[in-house]
Amino acid sequence: MPVLAGLRVSAFLAWKSIRRGSKGTLVLTIMIVALIFVNLVFLPSIISGVVETFDAQSIDFDFGNLVVEPREGSQYIDGVASLQRQIERIPGIVGTSPRTAAGVTYFYKGRNTASTLYGINPEDERSVTRIAEFMTEGEFLSDGDTDAIVMGATLAGTEGDEGGGLPTLEGVVVGDSVRVDYPNGETRTYRVKGIFETQSFGVDTSAFITNREMSEVLGLQDQASVILVKTEENGREEEFKRELLSYGIQEEVRTYREKAGGFVDQAIQSFNIINAISTLVSLIIAIVVIFIVIFINTVNRRRQIGILKAIGIDQQIIINSYVLQVLFITVVGALVGMVLNAGVTTYLTAYPLVFPGGPVYPVVEASAVLWSVASLFAVSLPAGYIPAWRIAREDILTAIRG
Amino acid sequence: MIVAEDLTRVYTMGRVEVRALRGVSLSVARGEFVGIMGASGSGKSTLLHILGLLDRPTSGRVMLDKTDVLALSDHQRTQFRLNRLGYVFQDYALIGELTALENVYLTSLVRGDPEEEYLRKSTDILERVGLGDRMDHRQSELSGGEQQRVAIARALVNSPSILLADEPCANLDSQTSKSILDLFRRLNEDLDQTILMVSHEEWHKEYFCRVVTLRDGLIEEVTECRKG
Ligand SMILES: Nc1ncnc2c1ncn2[C@@H]1O[C@H](COP(=O)(O)OP(=O)(O)OP(=O)(O)O)[C@@H](O)[C@H]1O
Ligand SMILES: [Mg+2]
Repeated sequence: MPVLAGLRVSAFLAWKSIRRGSKGTLVLTIMIVALIFVNLVFLPSIISGVVETFDAQSIDFDFGNLVVEPREGSQYIDGVASLQRQIERIPGIVGTSPRTAAGVTYFYKGRNTASTLYGINPEDERSVTRIAEFMTEGEFLSDGDTDAIVMGATLAGTEGDEGGGLPTLEGVVVGDSVRVDYPNGETRTYRVKGIFETQSFGVDTSAFITNREMSEVLGLQDQASVILVKTEENGREEEFKRELLSYGIQEEVRTYREKAGGFVDQAIQSFNIINAISTLVSLIIAIVVIFIVIFINTVNRRRQIGILKAIGIDQQIIINSYVLQVLFITVVGALVGMVLNAGVTTYLTAYPLVFPGGPVYPVVEASAVLWSVASLFAVSLPAGYIPAWRIAREDILTAIRG
Repeated sequence: MIVAEDLTRVYTMGRVEVRALRGVSLSVARGEFVGIMGASGSGKSTLLHILGLLDRPTSGRVMLDKTDVLALSDHQRTQFRLNRLGYVFQDYALIGELTALENVYLTSLVRGDPEEEYLRKSTDILERVGLGDRMDHRQSELSGGEQQRVAIARALVNSPSILLADEPCANLDSQTSKSILDLFRRLNEDLDQTILMVSHEEWHKEYFCRVVTLRDGLIEEVTECRKG
């Protein structure tokens, strides 16, 4: 008999069974598949969200896309201005910002704390990071400033809050004066021009002055500790890194991921393990549930299966009709799951989960959805096939007697 | 058409052996209308199951339409049932999720017949068994007698070369029984339909060419009733 005609009969039987079988069981099964689907998609979407938040934080506040560092054995990059010009000529690079770092001690109202102070060119910095957009008080630096400092919210702190081990001056506000002791013995007093809050803890515990001031104090000329580089789009860091090196840049070049170091990778790895376990558990539940449902369904219809065989219907057609029913349940379940997931995602976008490093928005990646759909099918088809096959193989009269 | 030789069927239930058939030989020519009678438990259904390829005998031989059906594979036996046999079960055996009409045309769907043709044939046969106004009813919405007639229509719809009917009139009033038997007789006389039918009723004998009476798994007697 032609395969197509056989499939038509399977589809006919499957459809009648769906339409005229128990609605309650059908809805319940579809809901279970839908919830399994949500479970499969949800955790990866949060993990993607964490990674995305972390990447965005690192790029926007800590590092830009790439970081140029001094050559092996040097403390500073020399010839910064010409190196900046050289890098900015590369197509796809939209900004560079030299930073000079110093480990300093801050003094304020009899309190003191040690942290990093960066010298920056304010306009250059605006072309790379977004710190200037995250001022909670006052303003960001301007190129001409010499006695001004902008401070991270954690470093500025709040009155009476000891910051739980993080460097904090407990209550600095705009307009206050803060004394800074440099490692070379120099001491300066700066007026606080602004306070920023980025949620990136390395940034919020530091402060910025202009490079002009920093170079004067440290006696540097056209030198910087690092140059941050911003590319047109994110995600092509490796490519640009090679490009920079091929343009003959002698300094070390690292991507923001490399700078962030093992921390993110480790976090992602742990998340992926959690995700793998959760996926495995969901899929096992899916197998068991679908198997039980189809098994009960087929056992309840033993007699019917026997009759179908008795009147001359091939057992493959009968098995296929059950497989088609499972297919239907899985397709509808996945669709319902997508709707549920859209609901969860919408909710968590409106009321995001807050992680250290900032709010995390669920990021539903097409690949995660495809993977979930594929694994649902991979699991439900055998779970539907096997019970149907076992009963369809039975002796006709035994089956008919029920 | 049907040649059965020395059929036995032994059911083993734990230590107990039930010998439902103990050596039945029977041959039915094309166009014969044969009645099988006998007391309850005498092996009528068992014999019909074997001839309908629903069961295999413990020993013996069965030829249907010159085919050694015991040598066929399961798949071939399924095809044989689909294309050559019509079977009316003692307990109707309808598919509960399908309507009367769908029950009747299901096998045509499997055979890949054109829709127009099988709808016409199925409607036709349902009308002939008096269910013209019950075609869209499901099993749960039909009386026992109506279900039985749907089962008869399903067995007849593809014009099988052999019709096997296990007490097809058991649940019908004598008026309806008579109309079914008349239908069988017309098929038998006009189209040379071979029919093997199990019955309890003495008055059915007037329809049969021949009556085979079973007793305890053996043929007790064979009577010619009318000229075939
Ligand atoms: N699956 C089975 N297992 C065990 N014994 C069986 C089985 N099927 C039938 N029998 C026995 O075989 C014998 C013949 O049964 P069968 O169904 O052929 O009788 P029958 O002549 O059709 O009776 P009835 O007129 O009541 O339908 C009976 O004694 C019955 O108990
Ligand atoms: Mg019987």
